[in-house]
Order: sequence, then C-alpha cells, then structure tokens
Amino acid sequence: MPDELARWAAKRAPELLARAEAEAVAELKQALLEAALRTRQGDRRAAPEPAAQPIASPSAEQPVPRGDGIWAYCVTASAEPFPEGLAGVHPAGTVERIEHDQLAALVSRVPLAEFGEEPLRSNLNELEWLERVARRHEAVLERALERATIVPLRLCTIFQDEDGARRMLEEQRPALTAALERLTGHEEWGVKLLVDRAALEATARDLSAEAPAREEEIDTRSAGGAYMLRRRLERQVREDADRLAVSVADDVHARLQDWASDAVLNPAQNRELSGHEGEMLLNGAYLVETPKVGRLGELVDELQDRYRALGATLELTGPWPPYNFVPRGVDAEGAALA
Amino acid sequence: MAQERYLPARGSGALPGHPREAANLADILERVLDKGIVIAGDIQINLLEVELLTIKLRLLIASVDRAREMGINWWESDASLQGLEAGDDEDGRERLERENRELKERLDRLEQRLGLEQGERHEESSRAG
Repeated sequence: MPDELARWAAKRAPELLARAEAEAVAELKQALLEAALRTRQGDRRAAPEPAAQPIASPSAEQPVPRGDGIWAYCVTASAEPFPEGLAGVHPAGTVERIEHDQLAALVSRVPLAEFGEEPLRSNLNELEWLERVARRHEAVLERALERATIVPLRLCTIFQDEDGARRMLEEQRPALTAALERLTGHEEWGVKLLVDRAALEATARDLSAEAPAREEEIDTRSAGGAYMLRRRLERQVREDADRLAVSVADDVHARLQDWASDAVLNPAQNRELSGHEGEMLLNGAYLVETPKVGRLGELVDELQDRYRALGATLELTGPWPPYNFVPRGVDAEGAALA
Repeated sequence: MAQERYLPARGSGALPGHPREAANLADILERVLDKGIVIAGDIQINLLEVELLTIKLRLLIASVDRAREMGINWWESDASLQGLEAGDDEDGRERLERENRELKERLDRLEQRLGLEQGERHEESSRAG
C-alpha cells in the first residue's frame, strides 16, 4: 500500500507542482499589470517623436556589456533588390545585408550596452523605448517590403556577430524558404470593424419584435413595476446589441476571408494605445494576392455601407510586412512550427 | 519617401479612398511583439515570457473583458494569450485560487505521508489501510 501511494504521489507531484507554478505566474502577471497601469496613469499617450536618449540602465553591480551586436529585421531572397542607407533601430548602424546561399538577412549594428540581454530586459518594459525601437524596426521592414518579398523576424532577434546571422540563414533555410515561397505575390492587410454603441443599441431596439409591446406595457404599470420592466427591457436591448455585434463581425470577417488567401483574427486593441473610437468588433489580418488588392478597398467600402446604420467604420491598414502569416517559430531541424 | 522610389514598388501601396496613415502603436506592437518568425538569436530574450508581460497586458487587458462579454472570443485558441484567462475572469480566478489552495494542501498532506512512510512505515501503513 505505501509503495502504491508513493508511486501515485510521484506521478502526481509534477502536475501539482506545475499547477502551483502556473498560479504563481498568474499572480506575478497581475502584479506586473497593476504596476504597469500605475506608471501609465498621467501620461496619456506617448509623444509622437519620443526623446532620442537611450534608456540603458544596467545596475551598478552589472558590468556594462561592450561592443556591438547584430540586430536582424527580416529575411529575403538574396536576388531581391535591397534598400540602401536606411537608418537602423539604433543610430550606431545603418541597415546592411548579410547574404548566405541565396538568402539574405537585413541587419544593423546595435550597442550591447543598450541591447545586451540585461539592459534589453529593462528597456523592453519602457514603453517609450519600446515604441521607438518598434517603429524603427517596422520602418525598415516597410521599406524592404516595397521592393521584395520578406519574412519578418520577431522584435529582438539579435546575434553576436555577422557569423551568427549567417548561421541562422543556414540552419533555418527550410522554414525561411518555405515562408518566402508562400508569401511571394501576397500582401498582408489589416481590417478593423468599429461601431458606435448607441447606434448599435438603437438598431437592436428597432429590430426587436418585443420592444414596442414592452414599452406599451411599461406605460400601464405603477412606478415600481415600470422601473423593473424598463430595466429588463434595457438589459434585453443590450444583449440583442451584443448578438448583433457578433453577427456583424462574423459577416464582415467571412466575406473578407472568402476572398483572401489566408486570415488571422487578433484580439480587439487597447484604446489607450490605438486611440480608436467606438467599439472594436473585429481586428483581422488578411493575406491577399497582390493583383486582388485593388478590389479589397472596394469590398471594405461595400461592407461599410451595408452596416452604416450601426455607425460602423471599417478601417483598412496596409500593406503590412506579413507578420501574421509566417510560422511562429522553427524547430531544431529548421522546419516551421505552426 | 518619394526620392527613394528608384525601383518599382512591389506592393500596391495605399488604395484609392484609403490613404495610408501613420500606423498606430497598437497595430505595430501587436505585430512586432506577437507575430513574425521567432528565431533564437545569440542574445536570449524570450518575448513570449515574463519580460514583456506588462506591455502585452497593456495591449490586451482593456479590450479582452468587453469583447468576451459580447461573445467575441476567437483569439482564445492562441496559446500565448492563455495566461490572461485567470486574471480576466473573476470567477475563473477564484476557482483557480481555490483549486490551487486545495492542491497545495493535498501536496502537503502527500509530502507528510511520504515523510512518515520512510520513518514510520508500519504505523503509516496501518493508518492508510
């Protein structure tokens, strides 16, 4: 019996520990969020052109890393044209190209004092620093995209030296080549659907078969009964409006998806960062064949007309570097992970 | 911008009636932090882990509750966002906390019993039986 118990415990312990750990992580996340929101209060939106000072602040005990690293932006076929003289994520380096066996990586030098592992960790949590670096990274990709099919790399892909970047091209060749093939002749576009809540509820009320009867009933009731009925009617309208919102978002997405080569849905954005008005019902990315892109604008306009009564706005952005349509990662053999 | 267009643009650029505007920060961050191919560089920063949670949470937290309330939850299959579940949903969080407490207690009991088992095998076996 004790042996059995020991076996059972040995089997269960890893799972129990994992769950305890997951809970600890969840608590940490909550604490981080609260801290983040506290710092954020008072500085509504980051200035459009953030200050140029680096925020590298390694603690006194940590030796400041010296020298440069190689920041990688994206991968292209080496036969593709290359935009020369672009500014990198840091003024220390302009964008250069490292070639290896028909593939090329766009890279620039970055000082490890700011982009080494330790400083990077703290800099990444500074929204101003992050915004500046993210916008510069994006700017390089957009310029490259004007001329070539690119595979965008996740922010902060940094190598010790050029050989490191070359090794990456060698090791990840299968996944990179497959991604380039798939993306050739395609563009990523973003579509967001925003609606005005008041208009949405008004439409829900108009569409409701019961609302008029309920309204009449309210008039016949005593003050208390009328209040309760009104509350119920309002809740009903809110729920109808939510259902309506979901069906509109579904319809818009279905129409765009039918028409695109691939589609990805992302969570609605935080108003604080996006500055959007109204309620974001859809935040989709669509991979579209280049010759069909002209029609995309028309389709978006048609959908917007169809849902105009809801105060619907469709926001089209792009073309984007195809961030949403590359594999999330690659395994040790260089094959793509879904 | 115009002076560098010495090569024909591959992409279509802005569409008629949809002028290209400066991208908003949320558009850029949701892409550069969460998308794009992940290749291990020599500098090891795992953007999926704790380092960027403050930023990622800022990106998501304000929108997720409301959207889910409305029944919009299509991103929930995204493993990188699963961690947000516990914090978003008060019932879920309470449930998780309770489960976790119970599991910790069970783990304590198990450890105690295992400890006993080594020292006082006979006594334990009679009690467990």
